Amino acid sequence: MVDYQCIRLASENDISVVCLVDDKVMDAERVALLGNELLSLADSGDGGKVLINLDNVRFLSSAAINKLIVLERRLRDTGGDLKISNLRPEVEEVFNITQLHTVFDICPDAEAAMNSFD
Amino acid sequence: MTAEPDWIFNERIASDCTIGNQVVLDIIGRMKQIGWSESELFGIHLALEEAIINAIKHGNRESPDKQVHVAVRASLDSFFLEVTDEGQGFDPDDVPDCTATENLEVCSGRGLMLMYHYMDEVRYNDVGNSLQIRKTR
Repeated sequence: MVDYQCIRLASENDISVVCLVDDKVMDAERVALLGNELLSLADSGDGGKVLINLDNVRFLSSAAINKLIVLERRLRDTGGDLKISNLRPEVEEVFNITQLHTVFDICPDAEAAMNSFD
Repeated sequence: MTAEPDWIFNERIASDCTIGNQVVLDIIGRMKQIGWSESELFGIHLALEEAIINAIKHGNRESPDKQVHVAVRASLDSFFLEVTDEGQGFDPDDVPDCTATENLEVCSGRGLMLMYHYMDEVRYNDVGNSLQIRKTR
C-alpha cells in the first residue's frame, strides 16, 4: 500500500479517483511530490484510468499544471486515460486561457467524468 | 498623481522556494485585509507566485549566495510589484507561446502567459532580471 502525501486515492470500477490534499497547490516541494505520486498511478499498471477531482483546489501554480500535463502524456502513451472534474470557475479559467481545455478531458463533475471513460 | 499606498513591503529574501511561497501567502493575506476579494486575488496570486518563484529558481538558481528583492505597493485601488533577482536575466520574447498548438504540452511559458493575462501591465528591464507588474481595480 503506497502512502501518498499529496493525493487521496480511491478505486471505483477500475478507475483511480484522485483528490488533491492541498487546496493551494504551489509549494515547490509539494508540487514535485505531487508529480511523482500522480506518475505512480500511471505506472501502477492497473488499467490506467485516472480521474482527478479538483473540487477542493482553490489555487494551482503553473508548475502544478505542468504535472498534470506530464501525467496526461504518460497515460496517453501507455494506453490509459485521464479525466479532470469539478474545477472551480477561477481554476477552469486558467485552463481556458492557456488552451489546456483542448488537451485535457474536463468534465463538470465526478459522475460525468466516471461515465465518460470507455 | 498616485494615491498613497495602504501597505508597502520591501524586503530582500533568500533564494529559497519555501520562503518565497510564504512571502506570496503573506502578501495575499495583506491584500485581503486591505479589501481585495478572493476572485480578484486569484490572478494576483498567480502573478506573484510566478514572479517570485521564477526569480528564485530560474533567476538565482536557488543559490544561497543570492537574494531576491521583492517590493510591493498596495492600496484598495491598485497593486504594484517589483521583483529583482541577481541572475543573468532572460528575454521574455524568447519564451514560446504556450497556447500555440505545437507548444500546448510544453512545460514552460505558461506562468508568464498567465501573468500577462491577469495583470494590467507587465514590464521587464533590459537585462531581464527585474520585473514590474501592475494591477488596477
